[in-house]
Amino acid sequence: MQDMTMTNNSPAELTPPRSLWSLGWQRLKRDRVGFVSLWIVVAFLVVIALCWTRLLASNWGEEVAVPYAPPTWAKGEATAATNGATDANVLGGANGPIITLTPEEDPIGKDIEAARADAGKYQLKATVKADALFMGADVRGRSVVNKVLAGTSTSMLVGIFGALLSVLIGTCLGAFAGYFGRAVDDFLMWFYSVFTSVPDMLLLLAFAAVCGRGFLTLIMVLSFTSWTATFRLVRAEFMKHRSREYVQAADAIGASHLRRMFVHILPNISHLLLVQFSLLLVSLIKYEVILSFLGFGVSVRQVSWGSILGEVPAELMQGYWWQLLAVVIMMSLLVTAVSLLTDALRDALDPKVK
Amino acid sequence: MSQRDILLSIRDLRVAFRLEDGGRFEALKGINLDIPSNSTVALVGESGSGKSVTSMAIMRLLSDYGCEVDSASQILFEGRDLLRMPLAEMRKLRGHDITMIFQEPMSSLNPVFTVGDQIAETLMIHEGVGRAAAWQRAIELLQEVGLPEPEKRVRAYPHQLSGGQQQRVMIAIAIACNPKLLIADEPTTALDVTIQKQILELLANLQKKHGMSVLFITHDLGVVGEFADEVIVMRHGEIREQGPAQQVFEHPHDSYTKALIACRPKLDHRPQRLAVIEDFLKPEPYVPPTDRQRGYAQDDKIILDVQGLCVNFDVRAGLFRKRKFEAVKNVSFQLAHGRTLGIVGESGSGKTTVGLTLMRLRTAAAGKALFEGQDILAMDDKAFRPYKRRIQIIFQNPYASLNPRFTVSSILTEPMKLHGIGANAQEREAKARDLLNKVGLPAKTMEKYPHEFSGGQRQRIAIARCLALQPEILICDESVSALDVSVQAQVLNLLQDLQDEFKLSYLFISHDLAVVKHISDQVMVMNKGEVVEQANADDIYRAPGNDYTRRLLSSIPRGWTPSAELAGLPI
Amino acid sequence: MLSYILRRVWQMIPTLLGVMLLVFIVFNWAGGDPSYILAGKGVSKELIANIHAQLGLDKSLPEQFLLFVTQVLHLDFGVSWSTQQSVIGIMAARIGPSLALTGTLLVAELLTAIPIAILVAYHRGKLIDRTVTILCTVAMSVSSLVYIIVGQYALAYKLGWFPVMGWDDKSLFNSWLHYIPLPLILGLAVSLAPEVRFYRSFVVEELNQDYVRTARAKGLSERVMLFKHVLRNALIPVVTAVTTSLPFLVLGSMLLERFFGIPGMGNELLLAVDKSDFPVIKAITIAIACATMFFNLLADVLYKWIDPRVELK
Repeated sequence: MQDMTMTNNSPAELTPPRSLWSLGWQRLKRDRVGFVSLWIVVAFLVVIALCWTRLLASNWGEEVAVPYAPPTWAKGEATAATNGATDANVLGGANGPIITLTPEEDPIGKDIEAARADAGKYQLKATVKADALFMGADVRGRSVVNKVLAGTSTSMLVGIFGALLSVLIGTCLGAFAGYFGRAVDDFLMWFYSVFTSVPDMLLLLAFAAVCGRGFLTLIMVLSFTSWTATFRLVRAEFMKHRSREYVQAADAIGASHLRRMFVHILPNISHLLLVQFSLLLVSLIKYEVILSFLGFGVSVRQVSWGSILGEVPAELMQGYWWQLLAVVIMMSLLVTAVSLLTDALRDALDPKVK
Repeated sequence: MSQRDILLSIRDLRVAFRLEDGGRFEALKGINLDIPSNSTVALVGESGSGKSVTSMAIMRLLSDYGCEVDSASQILFEGRDLLRMPLAEMRKLRGHDITMIFQEPMSSLNPVFTVGDQIAETLMIHEGVGRAAAWQRAIELLQEVGLPEPEKRVRAYPHQLSGGQQQRVMIAIAIACNPKLLIADEPTTALDVTIQKQILELLANLQKKHGMSVLFITHDLGVVGEFADEVIVMRHGEIREQGPAQQVFEHPHDSYTKALIACRPKLDHRPQRLAVIEDFLKPEPYVPPTDRQRGYAQDDKIILDVQGLCVNFDVRAGLFRKRKFEAVKNVSFQLAHGRTLGIVGESGSGKTTVGLTLMRLRTAAAGKALFEGQDILAMDDKAFRPYKRRIQIIFQNPYASLNPRFTVSSILTEPMKLHGIGANAQEREAKARDLLNKVGLPAKTMEKYPHEFSGGQRQRIAIARCLALQPEILICDESVSALDVSVQAQVLNLLQDLQDEFKLSYLFISHDLAVVKHISDQVMVMNKGEVVEQANADDIYRAPGNDYTRRLLSSIPRGWTPSAELAGLPI
Repeated sequence: MLSYILRRVWQMIPTLLGVMLLVFIVFNWAGGDPSYILAGKGVSKELIANIHAQLGLDKSLPEQFLLFVTQVLHLDFGVSWSTQQSVIGIMAARIGPSLALTGTLLVAELLTAIPIAILVAYHRGKLIDRTVTILCTVAMSVSSLVYIIVGQYALAYKLGWFPVMGWDDKSLFNSWLHYIPLPLILGLAVSLAPEVRFYRSFVVEELNQDYVRTARAKGLSERVMLFKHVLRNALIPVVTAVTTSLPFLVLGSMLLERFFGIPGMGNELLLAVDKSDFPVIKAITIAIACATMFFNLLADVLYKWIDPRVELK
C-alpha cells in the first residue's frame, strides 16, 4: 500500500501549510500598487479611529481664524483674489497651487506679514484669530484641516457601516435564495426585482424625503437601497456552490443545511464579500457626498465631505478655493486607494490557484 | 523514415512561462522532433508534459500566455523557420498550410456566427474565393467530414450541433485549404467513446485522402496505437522516447514509456495489481503479477438490492409549465457484499444520477433500494441518518470535492464529529492520521490545504474522508476519470487494497470500459436512463448480449495490436 | 416570440404591485401624516380632518392601499401639493428636457467609451492599458459634484465659453443648441472613466475565449479577429448594459439638471423631495419602475436578436 506518491520532491511535504487567505496575502504583498493602497486605507482608518475617540479634530467647530483665512502657503495670491482681482490664479488655484507671488517677491508682503504678526500682540488672548492657517479657514473662521478631518471621519463611518449592513442584508437573503431555491427564491427574487425596478438614486431620495436627516438614518437608507448587488452575487454563488461536489460530499457525511450554508459555502465566497464590501464602500461614500450636498444627508450639526462641498459653489464665486481643494485631495486619495485595493484584492484572493 | 521528406522539424525548442512570483517555469526543456510528410505522428504525454505547449509553439500562439521561446530554438517548416518569420507570413501559413483543431469544439467555435460563415471565412481569406463559392465549398466540406444534411447544417449555429458534430466542423475548417500539416490537440478527449471512434476514423481517412501529415496530441496511448506511424512520448517538458509505433509499443526502451504502456488497464487480462511507474524505476525488472478472477459467486450476500428505480428532473419550460425529463428509467440491480458492480454508459446515460440517488442527493420518483432489507429511499431523514455513514461516495473531480478552506485534518475529522465517532478531538485526530497512512499519505500533511496537493493525492484524501465513517458501500462516481493514466493506476490499486482489507462493496461508475472491466465483478451497461445489460464482467466483454453493448465495446480504442509472433506474450 | 412577451408582461404584474406596495409603505406609513405639510402653520382640527377625508386617510391601511392601486391604474396621480398642478401634466412637461440631455449624453458616451475600451482591452496588461486603467480609477475617485462645480465655475463663469445656466422654454432645439453643450461635456467627463472600465472588462473577457485562438489559428489578421469575432460577442453584454440603463434617460441627470437649471424630471424630483411633495415623488417612482421593467424586457428581446444561443421560453 505504501507507494511512492509522496516522494521527497513532492511540494506538499516541504513547505509549511498555507491557507488560501495567507496565499492571497502573499500575492497582495507582491502587488506594489495594491500594497501601498492598503497602507493608505489603514492610515485613513487610524484617522477616523482618532476622530471617533475625539483625540483628533474634535474642536473642528471652534472659530480659530478670521473668516476665509487663506492657506499659509498661498497667502499672497489669495489676498489678491479676495481683493476682487480677476486673474487666472483663482482658476489655477482650484486645480492646484500656482503661486505667482511668494512673500519674498511681494514688495509689501513682508511688511504686511510683520504688521499682522504685530497686530496679534495687541489683541486679547481669548479672541486671537489667525489670519492664515495651513489649509485656510471657512466662512466662520473654522480650520479647514480640522473640518475636513472631521468630515472624513463622518463620510467614512457612514460608508463603512452602510456597506457592512448592506453586505449583511444581501448575504443573508442571497444565501437563502440561492441555497434553497424554489419558493424561497421566488419570493426573495420578487423582493429583489421590486427594489431594482427603482433606480438607486430615486430610491435614496424617496427614503430621504420621508426619513429626514441624520447619521443613523443615512446609514439605514444607504444600506436599504444598496443590498441588491450583494444579493445577486451571493445568490448566484450559492446556486453554483450548492451543487459543487464538496457540498454534496458534506451532505453525504451528514452535515445539516445551515452547516453546509455557513460553514462550508460561506468561507468559499468570503473573498467575494470582501471585494463587494470595498466596492460598496466607494459607492456609498459617493452617495453620501451627493445626499449631504443636496441637504438630505447628515444633520446640520455634523460635517461631512458632502456638506463641505455644499458650501463650495458660493465660495468659489468669491475666489475661496481651499475648502474644495482639501476635500478633493482627501476624497480622491481615499477612494483611489480603496478602488486600487479592491482590484488588487480581486486578483490576489481569486482561489484559482495553479 | 529517413527516406521520406521531413515536413516539419523542431530543433532544441525551449519554452518558459513567467510565474507571478517572478520565477520561471520551464515548460519545454529543449526538444527535437521531426514530422515526415504524409504521416501521422502521435505526441503522447500526461498533464504537464508540455505536449500542448509544443503544438502552440508551432502555430506561434503562445505569446498570449506569458511565455518566452528561447532564442536558439528553431521550428523549420519546409525549411523555413516559423519562429523568425514575419507575423504576416505566418498568418498566410496558419489555416492554409498548418491548421489546428482543439479539445473543446464548443468553445473553439465562435458562438455568434453560423458554421458556414466560419468555414467560408478561411476559404475567403486564403484562397481568395467569393462568398457564394466559399459557401458552396463549405457545404462540400461538411459532406466530406460526414455531417448529415450539410445544406441545412451549414446555416446552423455551433450550439445547435452535438459535440461530435462541432468537432467535425472544426475539422472541416482545418482541411478547407488542403493543409500540409494538421495539428489535433486532444480532439476526442471531451467526446464519448463511440463518437471518439468516429472522429479518429475520419481523421485517419482524411490524412490518407489529402496526403497531409497529422500531429496528434493525446494523453491516451491506447488511442494512438491504431493509426499512428510514429509515436513520441513526453514527460516534464522532455522527450522520453520516439520512434515508429511498432518499436515504441513492442520494444520500448525508456522506463517511463514501459510504465505508461503497462499501467493502463487491459481488456484481455486483469492483473492482481496494476503496474505503476515506480515499478519500472527499480533496478530489478518488472514481473507482471498473476491475474485476478472476478464475478459474483453463488453464495454472495446481496447488500444492496435496487428495484425499479426511476428519477425525473423538472425542466422549467416557461412560467407555469414544467417538462418532465426521465433521467433514470426503471433501473434494477443487485450489489453483492465485498464485490464491485461497475456501471458503464456514455454521457446522458443516467449512471451518475443512479449513484447520487442512492446517496439521497437526488430524489427518486419510484422504486426501492433495499439495504439489508430496509428501503433507504422511503425513510425519512432521521431514520436514514444511521444509514448515511454506511454508504459513502467519491466524486469525479478531485479539485472540487474537497472544501478549499478546510485543512486535511478538519476534512477528515468533520464526518467523525458529525456522527459521534471518537470520544474527543485528540482521538479523532489520531484516527485521521491512521486514515491518511492507510491511503498512502504522510501524517505530516494533516494541517495542509487541498490546493497544496496533486489530483491523485486529493483523491486519496477524498477516499480517506469516506473511510472515516467506516462505510460498507462505496460509490465511486468517475473517481479515476480525471486522473492521469499513471496516477489512475495507483488509485485503482488503492481501491482494490481497501476492498480486500475491509470487504467493501463498490458501485463503480465510469465511462471508461477498460477501467470498469479491470475493477468490476459484474458490469451493468446503461443507455439513455435504461439498463441495457447486466452480467459478470468477463461474460459481458466476451459475449455482449445486446447491440448497444456491442457497439460500445467495439468503440474502445484497441491500442497497439501486437504483431503475430508476439501475440501470445504478455506485454 | 409574442407569447414570450405576453408572459413577461404577465410576470411584471407582481413586481409592479410590489413597487406600489413599497411606495405606499414609504410614503403613507413611514412618511407620517402629510396633513401638516399640506396645511402649513396654524392647523385646526377641522382642517386636518378635512384633509384626511380628502386623501382617504380616515380609512384603514388596506383600504388606502386599494385606493392607491386604483388611482395608479387610472393614471390618476392627483395634484402636486406645492403647485396644485396635475402630476401627469408636470411629468409630461419635464420629460423633453431630460431626454434632450441624457439622450445626447448616451450617444456621446457610447461613441467615445467603446473605442477606448476596445483599444485598451486589446493591449491588456501593457503600459497603455495599465495607464488608462489607473487614470480611470483616479478620475472615478473624484465626486461627480466636483466635476460639475469646477466645470461650471471655470468654463462658464470664469471663461464665459458657455452660458452659466438657463433654458429656453419655447424652443427645445434652441435650448439643446445653447444650454446642453456644457452639461453634456461635464456629464461625459463624469461617466467616461467608469464606462471605459466597464466595457473594457467585457472585451477582455471575450479575448480570453477559445474561439479567439481558433480565429488566430485560421490565419485571420488581428484586426478582423478583433472587430469581427470579438466585437460581435462583446456587443452582447454591452447592449444589455445599455438597455438596462435606459430608465436613467427618463429620470434625467438630477445633479446636472439642478446645476444648470434644466427643467427636467430629475430637477422636478429634487424640488419635490425638498418640499415633501409626495404625489410627485410617488408618480415619478412608479413611472420609472414601469420604464425599468419595459426596458428589461426590451433588453431580453434584443438579447435574443443578437445572440443566437438565447432561447426565449
